[in-house]
Amino acid sequence: MKILFFTGKGGVGKSTMAAAAAWQLSRKSRVLIVSLDPAHNLGDIFGVALQDNKSRYADTLFLKEIDLQKLSREYLQREINVLSGTYKYLQTLNLDNYFSVLRYSPGIEEYALLTSIERTVNNETDFDYIIFDTPPTGLTLRFLALPRVTITWIDRLIQIRQKILEKRYTIHRIRGSLSNEETVLNYSEEDDDILKRLWKLNNNYQALNRILQGENCSIILVFNPDILSLKESLRLMEGLNDLYLPLRLLINNKVTEENIEMADHVEGNMKKMAKDVPIDRVSLSKTLLDGKNGKLYDIPEDITSNLL
Amino acid sequence: MNFSVFSFFRRFLSRFHESHREDAVALTIVEAEELENIFALLLLGSFVGLPSPPTFLAVELLPFMERELKILNRRAADAGDMLAEMCGTIGVD
Repeated sequence: MKILFFTGKGGVGKSTMAAAAAWQLSRKSRVLIVSLDPAHNLGDIFGVALQDNKSRYADTLFLKEIDLQKLSREYLQREINVLSGTYKYLQTLNLDNYFSVLRYSPGIEEYALLTSIERTVNNETDFDYIIFDTPPTGLTLRFLALPRVTITWIDRLIQIRQKILEKRYTIHRIRGSLSNEETVLNYSEEDDDILKRLWKLNNNYQALNRILQGENCSIILVFNPDILSLKESLRLMEGLNDLYLPLRLLINNKVTEENIEMADHVEGNMKKMAKDVPIDRVSLSKTLLDGKNGKLYDIPEDITSNLL
Repeated sequence: MNFSVFSFFRRFLSRFHESHREDAVALTIVEAEELENIFALLLLGSFVGLPSPPTFLAVELLPFMERELKILNRRAADAGDMLAEMCGTIGVD
């Protein structure tokens, strides 16, 4: 199974290119296209109304839009339940519902995005291609960086936790039991809830990082022939490079006869940064401008030759 | 009468041994608590303006952090007189 992420500045045509690639690939393979962009327009491109569930567009093409708010709510509800379980006595005072404020914690959206990718990759194993249409650059880089950042933190926290347990074990050996009527103190790694949770998180993120940096994952960067798009794409390429994420294709979208010089200039600059990455050029469809093209995903250029 | 010189010495030695063990372990207890304090501070550092890990990591571990939070709180209260506490622990009068 191959995983493709379509990224780029807002408005460059990421969703359209992702949809076009999905349509072209679905002629020979089973494809699932997933929109992670909070401003969903996958349904608009294919002209269907999409729910959070997977819907079938053709025999080999399935579409899905992820509801980030719903995912964030679900995740926090789980945590709130654990907290409320620990502090059950607050129910007698009817104060337990105050934990619900956690739902406004910053950073939860990126986490929800990452979780949805992880779930999709793990559950949808009968597809040959999973295509993710990502949100604009800033959020995309943040959530792609999340596994590495998190692993670094988890590693350090595990080290400290192990040190704590080591000290507790020493105390236990010299003085006997650590626990009293009020508190139970564990000294073995298998009994410590915090360490167990940290190990579990660490395994999840390592697995996800392996998928993202692996052979079967590709990042496709879509850009337009203009200076703003070039600058942001260069920043995005730098970010991907820092995270060791595999950029495999550049798509220069919306090229016309009028902006062809600018298209060459932008491509030249992109090439300097990513020498071995192929560039596909997609011209701005005249029928699209007329508003007559009903199938936005059906473009004449083949953008899949470098993705197979 | 149950009292004998032998049992007196046995009790004396056992208390003597116990007090030495307490002395030996006192510093380790402080160290362990300090580490727990650091752990809580790193994880929940955003409360005092430290760079914090991704929020969800703190949220994930929060339900198990009651003891660490108590220590964090106590350490914050004792922070003004930490030198005296350290001196007390290592036996400097």
